[in-house]
This record gives sequence, C-alpha cells and structure tokens, in this order.
Amino acid sequence: MKKNILLVRASLRRGKGQTAAIVVLIFLAAAMLNLWLMLSMDYKQNFERSHERLNEGHVTFVADGDSGKMGGLLEEAMENDGRTAQFSIDPAMHMVGLFRFHGGEVNSEFVFLEKEAAVSRPVGRVEIIEDSSYKSGIYMPILYQSDSIAIGKTIYISIGSRKIPFQVCGFFNSVMAGSHNCGVCGLLLTEDKYKELKEKGYASEAALCSVRLKDKSESEDYEAMLKNTLSSAYPAARMKSNSYALVSSSRYISQMISSGILSAMAFFVLLIALVVIASAIMNDIQENMKNLGALKAVGYTRRQLTGALLLQFLGIAMAAAIMGAGVSYGLFPAINEMMVSQTGIPYEIRFLPAPFFLVLGILGGAVSIAVWVSSGKMRKVEPITALRQGVQTHNFKRNHISLENTKAPLDLALALKTACSSIRQNVAVCITMLVLSLVAVFSGLMVENMIADILPFLNLIVGETADSCIHVNAQAEEAFLEKIKEDKRVEKAYLYHSAEVRHVGGVDLPVTLSDDFSQLNNQDVVFQGRFPKYENEIAIAAKYAKEEGFQLGQEIRVTADGKQADYLISGFTQMTNNLGKDCLMTREGYGRLGELRDVGYYLNLTEGTDIDAFHSEVKEWFGSDVNAVINIEATVEGAASVYVSLMRAIVAAVLVLGLVIIAFVLYLLVRTTMGNKRQEYGIMKALGYTTGQLILQTALSFMPAAIISTVIGITVCSFLINPLTAVFIRNIGIVECTFRVPARFNILAGAGMVLAAFAILCLLALRIRKVQPKELMG
Amino acid sequence: MKNILLKAENLSKSFSSGGALQHVLKNIGLELYEGDFTVIMGASGAGKSTLLYALSGMDTPTLGRIAYGDTVISGLSQDALAIFRRGHCGFVFQQVYLMEGMSVMDNILAAGLLVSKDKKALCKRARELFAAVGISEEVQRKFPAQISGGEAQRVGIVRALINSPEILFADEPTGALNSKTGLDVLDTLTAFNKRGQSVVMVTHDMRSARRGNRILYLKDGAILGECDLGLYVPGDMARHEKLSAFLGEMGW
Repeated sequence: MKKNILLVRASLRRGKGQTAAIVVLIFLAAAMLNLWLMLSMDYKQNFERSHERLNEGHVTFVADGDSGKMGGLLEEAMENDGRTAQFSIDPAMHMVGLFRFHGGEVNSEFVFLEKEAAVSRPVGRVEIIEDSSYKSGIYMPILYQSDSIAIGKTIYISIGSRKIPFQVCGFFNSVMAGSHNCGVCGLLLTEDKYKELKEKGYASEAALCSVRLKDKSESEDYEAMLKNTLSSAYPAARMKSNSYALVSSSRYISQMISSGILSAMAFFVLLIALVVIASAIMNDIQENMKNLGALKAVGYTRRQLTGALLLQFLGIAMAAAIMGAGVSYGLFPAINEMMVSQTGIPYEIRFLPAPFFLVLGILGGAVSIAVWVSSGKMRKVEPITALRQGVQTHNFKRNHISLENTKAPLDLALALKTACSSIRQNVAVCITMLVLSLVAVFSGLMVENMIADILPFLNLIVGETADSCIHVNAQAEEAFLEKIKEDKRVEKAYLYHSAEVRHVGGVDLPVTLSDDFSQLNNQDVVFQGRFPKYENEIAIAAKYAKEEGFQLGQEIRVTADGKQADYLISGFTQMTNNLGKDCLMTREGYGRLGELRDVGYYLNLTEGTDIDAFHSEVKEWFGSDVNAVINIEATVEGAASVYVSLMRAIVAAVLVLGLVIIAFVLYLLVRTTMGNKRQEYGIMKALGYTTGQLILQTALSFMPAAIISTVIGITVCSFLINPLTAVFIRNIGIVECTFRVPARFNILAGAGMVLAAFAILCLLALRIRKVQPKELMG
Repeated sequence: MKNILLKAENLSKSFSSGGALQHVLKNIGLELYEGDFTVIMGASGAGKSTLLYALSGMDTPTLGRIAYGDTVISGLSQDALAIFRRGHCGFVFQQVYLMEGMSVMDNILAAGLLVSKDKKALCKRARELFAAVGISEEVQRKFPAQISGGEAQRVGIVRALINSPEILFADEPTGALNSKTGLDVLDTLTAFNKRGQSVVMVTHDMRSARRGNRILYLKDGAILGECDLGLYVPGDMARHEKLSAFLGEMGW
C-alpha cells in the first residue's frame, strides 16, 4: 500500500491541472446524480408519506345534490364492495370556479369544506400548514401561497357569475385535493363563511367521499364503480372525482421532467469524465513509458501498478463525489421551491443515505472500469520494451495529408495531419460536442416552444386552447349562438364540451365533444388517424390505446348515463388533461349515450378584446343561463407560468453547465496536446514557425472532430429531440411530441459552439507563446 | 576580402540557476564571413551551443548586439526572430529532431513551405538535395522512426538547406552517430560548403573540426583563440598538425 501511495503522489504531482479538471467533472456528475436520485427515489415518496400521514383516500368523489341522499347511496356501494378499507363522507359544496393567481387564473372544480370538519375527517384529512388569528375567511391550498394570496389579504373567488371575496386566514395541505392538478381542488371556509355560502346557494350542495382501498392499484376501477353506481341511480347527477393513480402522477409532472433532464445531464457529464480519465491514463502511460519500464524492472507487479492508478483515480473520484453530493443538498432547496410550486405538497429536505451511497457506487464503479480498461497497455507491456520506449506513438500505415499533394494551406494541412493521428483527442472532442449539441437543441426546443412562445407547449400539453370558454344551459344554446355570431369581437365559436364516458371493461375516459373538429385551433390533438366525423366514431388517447392494444379502425364499447354503444376508433389523441386517458366524439356520437344539459363553447376573440369585460356582457345578456365563463388565456397563463419558470431555470443551468464542460474538456485536451507535442513545437519554432501559426494549428487540429460531431450532433438531435422529449413526458399521456424544432436556432447554435470551441482553444493554446524554441527542445 | 554575414558585439548571456546568476557568454565580439566553414570548439560547458543558438536567433542574448547585414536581430520579438530564421538560417541538430508524425519528404516541405509558395519548385529542390546527400525516393516516403541515424541526419541537413539559408548552423551533427555515418555527414557538409554554403558548426570532435577553415576556441564563455586552417583538403596532414598545435595551445 505504501508503494502505491508513493506512485500516486508522484502521478498527482505531475498532473495537477488534469486532476483539477477530473475533480470538477466528477463533482458536477455527483451533484446532478444525487439530485436526480433524491428526486426520483424520495421526492415522490413524499406523496406517499403525506398520503399515509393524513390517512388520505385512494379515491375522492364529489356528488352534487343532497349530501344525505347522495352520501347514503355511496355509503351503501362502498360498504358492499370488498375492496373498501375505510371511508369518510362529509357534506360539502361543489362548483366550477376561478381565482386570480400568478397573473393568470386558476380554474377548477372547487369543493368547499368547513375547516374544522376538514381537519378532523377520518379519511382524507387536511392539515393546516399556516394559521392566523383571523376568524372568518378562507384557507387556501399551500400551493397558492404567493404575494397576492397571503394571510390577511382578500381573494376573490368567481363561482358562476358571482365574485365572492374571502379573507385569507391560512393555508393547508391536502394530498388528494390540494391543487387544480388533482381535478378536485379543496377550499376550506370558516364556519360562518361556509354557512353564508350555503345559505346564498351560489354553489351546489354535495357529498364529499374519500375512500381508502385495500389495494391502491384498484383506484381507477373503484372510481369507475362509484360513478356507475351514482349515474345508474341518478343519470343527471353531477359528479367529479379523482383517483390515487391520477393524482400521484399529475402532481409530479415537473418532478418527472426535471429528474429526467438531471439524469441525462448527469450521465453525459459522467461519460465525459470517464473519457477524460481514460485519456489521461493513456497519455500518462505514453509519456512515462520509461518510468513504467523502470518500475516493472525493479519489481513492481502489474497488480501494484494498476492498484496505484485505481487508488489515484478512485481517491479523486470519491472525494469529488462526496463534495458534489454534499453540494447538491445546498442546491436542493432551490429545486424544491420550484417543484413545490407545481406539486403543492411541502417537502422536508433531509439527508438521504440511499441516493448518497448509490452515487458513490455508480461513480466508483464507472471510474474503476474506466481505469481498468484504459490501463490495459500498462499491464501488457514488457519492462524492456517500456524502457526502450517500445510502444509506437504513430502507426506508419499512411501519411495522412501529404504536404506534397495537398492543396490545403500549410497551417491547415499541418493541423489536419495532427487531427488524423490523434484518435483519443478526436473521440473526446466528438463526445463533448455531441453532448453539447443535445444540450443546445434541447435548449432551442424549450426556448422556441415554451419560453419565447408558449403556444406549442400548450397545444401539446393542454390540447385545445382558445381565448374564452362559456358554458350555457342547453336550452339557451340557440339564442347564445345567434347573439355570439352577431358580435364582431367573436372570430370563431365552436362547441368544445367535456363530459364523462367509460370504456366498458376499462377506465373512465373523459370525452370532449364538438360539432365540427375542423374548427379546432389545434389540429394536432389527433396525431394519428383523424378526428371523429360521424356518430359512430371516436378518437381515443394514444397512451390508453397502447396500453389496451387498440388499433385504428377497431371498435370500442363505451358507456354513459346507463347506455352503451360501440364506436370505431378513427384517431389517436394525446392530451394530458387526464394523463392519457380521454377521448373525442362528435356531439351526435355522444347523443347515442346521453344528453347535454350544459354546453361549453370555445371562442376566439379579436385581438385586443377585453375578455373579462366580454364575459360580463355575456352574463348580462343571458343571466342565469350562463353556467360558467373561463378566461382561458389567463387560466393557462397562471398554470403555465410554473412550467415556464422551471424550464427557464433548467435551460439556463444546462447552458452554463455545457460551457463549463466544454472549457474543461478542451483545457485538458490542449494541455495533453501541448505536452505530447512539446518537442515538435520546439522544432517548428526553430524552423521559423511563429507562435501564432502554432496556436492556429493547435486550435485547427481540433476543428475537424468538433465540426463533424457538431454537424452530426445538431442534425441527429434535431430529428431525435421530439421523440426524446416524448420519452420524458410519456407518463402524462404524450406519445408523440410535436414541438417545432427551430432549425435556424440550431444551425446558429452549432456554429456558435464551433466558434466558441475555436476561441477557447486559441486562448488555451496561448501558453505556447511564452516558450523559446531552445527551451522547448530541451 | 570576405563579406561579413553576421556581426556580434559585446554578446553576453546569463542564466539564473538556483538563485545565482551564471554567466555563460561573456562580452563576445565576433564576425562570421560568407562561404566560411566556421567551427566552434571548446570543452563541455564552455558555452558553444549557447553561442550558436544566440547567433542563430534561436535564443536571445542577455546583452549585446547581433546584426545580419543591416538587420539587428538581438532586439527582435520571438515571432520576428522566427520569421527571420526561416529565410536566413538552417539548423542541423545532434538529435536531428525530425517530426515523428510526418514522412521524410513532409519534414522537408514543412520547413520549405514557410518560405516558398511554389510547391513544384520546392519539391524539385528537395529531390535535388536528397540526391546530393544520397537519400533514395523510398526513404523519402518513410517516417523518421523507420530510417537509420545516418539517414536521419542527412535528412536533417536537407531540411536545413531547403530554404537556401545564408548560414547553416550545426550543433554537434555527428555526436549521436557512429564513425562511418558521422564521416558521411561531415562529407555532406563539406560538399555543400565547397559549393558556397556558409556553415557554423559546434563540435568537440577534432575529426569534425578539421573540416572547418576557421576554428574558434571558447573557454568559460569567452573566445580564447582563433585559428585559420584554410580550405579543407582530405588527408592534408599540415592542417591537422596546425589544428592540433592550436588546440594544444588552448589547453584542450
């Protein structure tokens, strides 16, 4: 061991800069790996922990109507079902509503509960996170805590055509109803406010049912059973529900995307670190072949020499990994803050041993393999061969770029000669530039489709968007359409209404209806096949179709309102509203199952129209026939702002990281090249080459690999980025990503990367100028 | 009267070693003449190579002035010196220093293309020089590691001469060669000198020194003496005795 330590010390003294670069790369890889593992192994577990702590239900069900009558029916169904473990039924009020948040609007199915009842529910309990001395008002989900929604401030909640003010008394955490992403969003009122709302009758009375199941994987089936039971007894009953499967996924979309990106980046950085380590070892063997021969000659065994290398690089890697994993705990609060703004479930940061040791294990294993593989030459070489410097540094099969025959200018020709004979250098440059190409293309995709213009993101994630959505009673539909068509502010109005159907033998499939799907602003909702045209057609979510093995043209039986009908699958959709479990039908198609009592219309309004003012006018015209108005633009803005800020942070981080990596890798390569070519530089200076020429040749020698890998990287990544992105978001129902790939940005980014690499190389190669030819030859 | 190619005045060179200043060249005054085969001799550590590198613009003197005709090179920047060396100086080193990654021909062209853009003419001259030093076409296509030490040194001479330098500087060109190949190299240098090429050679080998017509003896960084041997004539014992007497006088 002592001998090994001596060898390690000698090697570390020789390569301080190289060691520093490896430390930085492993440090970055460890920090990102630890963040990824913490996010993927523990962050979502926080949902489970909160779920258990609050004895939350696996199905939450809200049925409008008399809570006693509805509750009784549900109670009977749940008691008779062997899958039920425990349940709780409480009176509540239920209505679609909205409030302002983050400059936009949150539009959701609100369930109003009396605060004291809510905190003492046996199943589906909520916990108060922040309380105050205010005795009358509202408690909001902790997710919405912001500058404008704070204790003591007034929040206006629009329910139907009314805007009701509440003073914010505090904030609460609810696992199954703590966010608009849950489908059902709980709001707690103090006793007086609850009574007041009930007396005024602005929101429907309802029964809120939370059920714990013996097996949580049954949550979707169980939810469907409750819906069937209720709709069989009361076909007109209005209900809303969610399941454990839906909520556990929908609240962790940003966590899923972030951990995906972090893992990809971590492994890319690790790959670069391994290439650097392998390259360092091979160069060290090459440069110190005589020393190696001497060590072997005096009796050092292959095991001792390899052991010394392992000790050196594992020591560096482990020290850097521990630092990186440690620093990731410093970064985690910022990431947690971003995540919580989407999950809405508070997460307590603590030391997680499993991810920490996994990081050490992954990095240690990878570094050991890299050391073992790259030190093969050292193990094989005989001492006498090494002493005679017997390992050739050049193969003599070909004289690359013969100066006699080439048309290239002298400096370029000499640079190309170096490039052709430096395989390791080229491999390292190629891997780095390919990784950076992916980073650049991904960043371009996010800037183009999310940060600069959010519409493509919305089209993909939300599906259809317009300016306004107005729900009116079916009886008033004709008059509404007549009035709307006359209004010059309305560019387009089309039926886009959501209802519930269920796949017989499968799950609930929220259905979106339209008279004419060609009117939709986003024609990419159906990405394979076509929209339904006839009454016997249906377009279903691709994710669900894949799970169930459905093909285009196949028949599917669905049910609603106690009726069943068969439909031909005309197309596959991808919308994330129900995480890949939904469908589209024509209005006539839905008419085979049920009747619409309320119709939702999407409206495109002319540029500059005040949407809220327009809604007020519509409410005045149609009074109580207007069931709901939604400023879609504002709603989407509020919801999307979270993702936009998250993506902005991710793009900034990956770009900075990319620049750091390219600088480090190039530094190491230039350093190695200068070490290897030290004598050659001396000879060339003696012959009359200027420092500028040598710097240019050095920088140019990296360019073929840099240019080729960047062109290939940018081109391939431009084609693959959509399928790759789809992999990250497949859990939310996206099968085929249709983001616009910004070709011009990608070309500019590629050119920028090559130019930046060239500039960095020239700067790094400036060290050549300080040395005189005579010194170089020494 | 010979033309002066190079004139050095008050040339000094000092190195800092372990905090102490070491004066390697001390106030040297020297003129080199066109067509001469000047040999610089001296014991190890006398400053022979340092003087050669200073005169050739490979190293900058600490003090003093070096002028090639009207061009004073002692004050030039590194890059200006590099450009100056291309056209005016050729170098032959003891270790040859061919570039390993380039073929023999490419080693020559890498030097030649710095000065001439006429590749055709350059290749023609390279082939003439190769022929003159006895390097076959097959060897021209090989890499330095594939040729013998003697061949490599002759390639080194071709490289030094490819740009028709005013002076060819040779630093112990036979030091790493065996007796026979060393003799071949000396014959080559002598032949080019006879064609008018000015040569300055550092050596501590008397057999090599005999090839020069002018011998400078360096001791402790200063020129201790100078001997004019006249033109080299093979087997001329009088020259040999004169050189021996001179070196004896110098305490060699």
